[in-house]
Amino acid sequence: MKTRHHKWLDTYSRVGLFLLVAFASHIFVFSAPALAGKKVSLALQWYPQAQFAGYYMAVEKGIYAKHGLDVTLLPGTADTNSLDRVVDGEADFCTAFLSAAMECRSNGTPLVNIGQIVQRSALLLVARKDSGIQSIKDLDGARVGTWGNKFQLQPLALFNRENLDVTLVRQSPSFELFMRGGLDAVMAMWYNEYFRLISYGLNPEEMNTFFFSDLDLNQPEDGIYCLESTLNVSPKAAAALVKASAEGWQYAFAHPDETVDVILAAMKQVNIRANRAHQKWMLARMQDIILSEGNPELVTRLKKDDFMQTKETLLSNDVIETDISYTDFHKEAVQ
Amino acid sequence: MKLNGIAFRLASLTLLISTLILAAIVGYNYTVSRDIIVELAEDKGTLLAGSTSERISGVLNSVQKVADSISFSLEDGSLSEKRLNELGKRVLSENPEIFGTAIAFEPYGFKYDSEYYAPYHYRSQNRISFTHLGGPDYQYFFMDWYQLPRELERAIWTEPYFDEGGGHELMATYSVPFYRTKNGLKVVAGVITADISLTWMQKLLAEISNQESGYVFMLSRYGTYIAHPDSSLIMNETIFTSAKTMNQPRLREIGRRMVTGQSDVEEVENLPLTGDSFLYFTSLPKQQWSIGVVFPKADMLADVARLNREVATLGAVGFVALALLVIYLANKITHPLRNLTASANEMASGNLDTELPEVRSNDEVGELATSFQTMKESLKSYISNLTETTAAKERIESELRIAHDIQMSILPKLFPAFPERNEFDIHASIEPAKEVGGDLYDFFFLDDEHFCFLVGDVSGKGVPAAFFMAVTKTLLKVVAERGLDPGEVMAKVNNDLAEDNDACMFVTLFLAVIHIETGEVKYANAGHNPPLLLPKNKDSEWIPPLNELVAGIMEDTEYTTKSMTMEPGDTLFIYTDGVTEAMDNDKNLYSEERLLEVMNECSGLSAKSIVRTIDKSIKTFTGGAEQSDDITMLAMQFLGKSNEK
Amino acid sequence: MEITFENRETGTLVLVTGRMDAVTAPQFEKDCVAVIEAGAKLMVVDLSQLDYISSAGLRSILASAKKIKSTGGTMKFCGLSGMVEEVFQVSGLGTMFATTATADEAFGA
Repeated sequence: MKTRHHKWLDTYSRVGLFLLVAFASHIFVFSAPALAGKKVSLALQWYPQAQFAGYYMAVEKGIYAKHGLDVTLLPGTADTNSLDRVVDGEADFCTAFLSAAMECRSNGTPLVNIGQIVQRSALLLVARKDSGIQSIKDLDGARVGTWGNKFQLQPLALFNRENLDVTLVRQSPSFELFMRGGLDAVMAMWYNEYFRLISYGLNPEEMNTFFFSDLDLNQPEDGIYCLESTLNVSPKAAAALVKASAEGWQYAFAHPDETVDVILAAMKQVNIRANRAHQKWMLARMQDIILSEGNPELVTRLKKDDFMQTKETLLSNDVIETDISYTDFHKEAVQ
Repeated sequence: MKLNGIAFRLASLTLLISTLILAAIVGYNYTVSRDIIVELAEDKGTLLAGSTSERISGVLNSVQKVADSISFSLEDGSLSEKRLNELGKRVLSENPEIFGTAIAFEPYGFKYDSEYYAPYHYRSQNRISFTHLGGPDYQYFFMDWYQLPRELERAIWTEPYFDEGGGHELMATYSVPFYRTKNGLKVVAGVITADISLTWMQKLLAEISNQESGYVFMLSRYGTYIAHPDSSLIMNETIFTSAKTMNQPRLREIGRRMVTGQSDVEEVENLPLTGDSFLYFTSLPKQQWSIGVVFPKADMLADVARLNREVATLGAVGFVALALLVIYLANKITHPLRNLTASANEMASGNLDTELPEVRSNDEVGELATSFQTMKESLKSYISNLTETTAAKERIESELRIAHDIQMSILPKLFPAFPERNEFDIHASIEPAKEVGGDLYDFFFLDDEHFCFLVGDVSGKGVPAAFFMAVTKTLLKVVAERGLDPGEVMAKVNNDLAEDNDACMFVTLFLAVIHIETGEVKYANAGHNPPLLLPKNKDSEWIPPLNELVAGIMEDTEYTTKSMTMEPGDTLFIYTDGVTEAMDNDKNLYSEERLLEVMNECSGLSAKSIVRTIDKSIKTFTGGAEQSDDITMLAMQFLGKSNEK
Repeated sequence: MEITFENRETGTLVLVTGRMDAVTAPQFEKDCVAVIEAGAKLMVVDLSQLDYISSAGLRSILASAKKIKSTGGTMKFCGLSGMVEEVFQVSGLGTMFATTATADEAFGA
C-alpha cells in the first residue's frame, strides 16, 4: 500500500533524519549541558610551553575537574592553526590571538571570544644595536623576520601607518637567519623568542627593542575562543572553562617552580627543546602580560578599548573589511 | 716556667720566628708548585682541547669538501633526474660518514610544474634509500638547512638537531648553495646538503671524558650543548641558560668568548660535577662550534696540596722538636741562674756563708758564678773590715768622750765660783766645736787681793789643740801663781811652749790680774782678739789690741803688761774668735760689730746673764749651722768693796 | 782656696785666693814646703785675694815660715787688707813678718 509504504518510510526517514541531525550536530556540539567530567578539548596555539601554563596547571591540579570538566589539551605545532581546529570541529575551544580571531570573524566565521587572558601585547621587534636601527623609521627598507601569518598583523599595521617599506621574511623558529646577519630585525614574543636570543648569548644591552604595546598597537594576544554554536549549546561549560583556566593561571603564578616542572615534563614528552631558565622567564613574562598594570586579580574581560583599537587598525590596514561588533564578538561567559 | 722568664721569652721568640720562616717557606713552596702544576695542566688542557678539535674538524671538513665539490658539479643546468639520483647515490657510497644527502631546488627550479623538488638519498638498514622531500607539510624553503644558505648565499652548517625519523640521533647538516646563470646573472638555484650523525663525536668526547678526571663538552655556534656528560643538557640548554640557572655570570662571559671563537683558559668556581675548575676552550673555526675541557682544580692541585701538607707536617714536627730543644737549652741556662738568685737572696738576708751553687761550665754563666763567689768573699772581708773599723771608731769616740769630760773637768765649772766673795761676779762658758777643743779659760786667786782670770785659744781644734790647751793652762797656773806681772807670765809660758814646738802650734792668750779692792787691772795680750769692756751705764768699748805675737812660736818674745781700772759695775768680757767668727748657713760672720751691739744691750745685767745673752744671740745668728770653732766667753763683773756680805 | 806660684827674678810669688781654714790650710803648707825644698829663698805671699783666715791658716803660715827660715830663706807678705790684715795685726804676725802693700815692693826691697 502506498500510504502505508509512505508512512513506514516517513517514520524511518524521520527517525533517520533525527538520528542524522543528532549525529551531525554531535560533531559540532555536545548535546548535554555541563555535568561532572564533561569532556571538552582545548586546542593550544603552539607546542607545550609556559605560555599555556594556566591550562596545564588547571588540568594537573584538577581545577577543571573541580569545575566539572574533563579537558584534553591539544598542543599546537608550527604548521597547525588552533583557530582552524575549532572551525574544523577538531577542538571545542582554542586559544588564539585577538587579531587573528577578529580576522577570522570578519571573514564570516561565527567565532566568539569567551575570555581574554592576555591583556598586554607581548609582541616586539628586535634589532641588534650594531645594525643601525635605532628607531622605527630606520626600518625603512629593512628585512624583518616573521614566523607564520598570524603574527604579521601588528607589524603590517605598523609599517602601513609609518609608511615603511619593509620586506617580511618568513624564518624558522631557530632565529638563525637573524643571528647570522641575514635579517635586520625580527619579530619576537617577549616571553619566548626574546629570551631565546639571550640564551644564544646576546646581552640585553646589545639589542634594540620596540614593543608594539608602546607603539599604540596594543593588540593583546591570547584569549579563549569557540564557535557561537558551542557557546549557545554549552554556556555553562564555556564559563566553567574560562573560570577554571583563570584559576589555573593564578595557581601557576603562585607556584612558579612547580609549574615549570610540569611544563618541562610536558615539553620532554613531545621531544622539544626544554630548559628551565627559558620556561622560568616565560612564566614570569606571562604574569606580566596577563596581570597587566599590576592587578592581582585575573580579569578575563576583553577591554572595549583594546577591541576597538585593534579593530580600527585592522580596518585601516585593509586586513579586515567588514566591521565587527564588540558585543557580538566578546561574550563574557557567566556561569 | 715564668712568663717573662728568659726561657719562655727565648722559646717563644725562636718559635715565633721559625713559625714565620716555616710559613713563608711553605707558602712559597705551595705557590710555586701550584703555578707549575697549573701551567702544566694548562698546557695539557689546551693540547687536549686543541687535538680534540682537530680530530673533529677533520671529519667535518672532509664532509664539507664533498658537498662543496658536488655543488660545483650541480651548476650544470642540464643534469637529468637520473644523473641527480646517481650523484646522490655515489655521494653516499663513496663517503661512509655521510648519512644522507639532498639536492633541493628553488620553487619550480627543476621542473616547471613542480614547486618542490628535493631528491634525498639516505642510509637505512645498510642500504641506500631514496625519497622526495617537500610538500605543503614540509615547506623546506623556510627551513634553516635550505633558507640559510640561500639567503646568506654561502655554505653553512646547521645547528645540530635530533633526527626524528629513526634512532633519535644527533645530526648536523652541511648545506651548500649551488648557482645557475639566469639572464646573465648568477642566482641560487638550490641547495645541496650532507647530513652527518654526530654520535661518533659524542662518543669520542665521552671517551676522552672518561680518561680524564674532568670532562669535555661541545657547544654549537649559539652555545647550545651538543656534547656533555650530563645528557639532559644536550640540545636543551645553552651555556647561557645554564649560566643563569647556576647563577654563574662568569660562565655567561666565558660562553660569549667561546662562541666568538676564542681560545683560552679560565678559572671557574663551583661547577657541577667538578667544583672549582679550570676551563680550557677552543673552537672549530669552520663550523664555529667550540670545545670546552673542564678539569677540577682539586684533582690537579691534589698532588701539590699533598706535598704542601707533608711539608707542613714536617715543619710542625721540626717545630715541636725545636721547641723542646730551645726550652731545654733555655732551662739549662736559667737553672744555674735561678740557683744563683736563690743564693744571692740568702746572702742578702745576712747569711754570707751560704754555699754558692757550683757551676762548672766555661761560659758566661760560669763566669757569673765565679764573680758571685769573688763578690761573696769581698763582701765578707769588707764587712769584717767595716766591723773592725766601726769598733775602732766607737772606741775612739768613747775615748774622746772621756777626754771631753777630762778636759772639761780641768776647767772651773762651778758657778757662782766664789759665792762668799761679793766684790766681783764671774761667769764663763765654753763649747768646743768637737768633743775636745783648743779653747781655755781659768780664774784663780793669786793671793787675798789679786784675782787672776784668763782666756786662751789654741790654734786648730780637736785632740792636738786639746793637748796644747791642757799644757798651756797648767803652765799658766803654775807660772801665774808666782805672782809675776801678766807680761812676764806670758813671756815665761811662751818660752816653755815654743820649745820643741815643731808643729808651730800657737795659742792666743789674754791674761789679767785684778786688785779686788781697787779695781786696778793689769793685763797682757798675746795675739788674742781684744776683749770688750762694758762700763756701767755706758756703751761698751774695745780694749785696744797690743799686736803682740801669739804664744808658742818664738822664744824670748817680750810681752807688755798694760793697766786699766775697773769701776764698780763695769764688766770685762773676754772671748775667743769662735764668737765673732761664728757663721750662719750663708757663711756670714757674727762679727765684732754685732757683739758690740748685743753687749750694749746687756747694760746692768749680771755676768751670768751677759754670757747667756751673748750665747743666745750667737745661737740665733748661726741658726743651726755647724759650729766651726770653739766658743768661749768669760764675763768678769767688778762690784767693788761697797758690797759687803 | 787656690794657690798659684809665680817665679820672679829674686824669688817666688805665692798668690792665695779664697779662704784659708782648717780644710784648705794644709794644702798651703804642703805646697809652700815643696817650693821651699825646691830651693826658694824668698817667698812673697800675696794675700790680697784672701777673704778669710783662721788660726789653722796662721799655723800653716808659721810652719811654712819656719821651714824657709831653716833653709836660710825669708817669707814676706803683701796685699793684706780687711779681716786678714786685722788678724795679722792682732796675732802679732804683723810684727814678725815683713809686710808690704804690693808684691813688687816686697820683691824690690
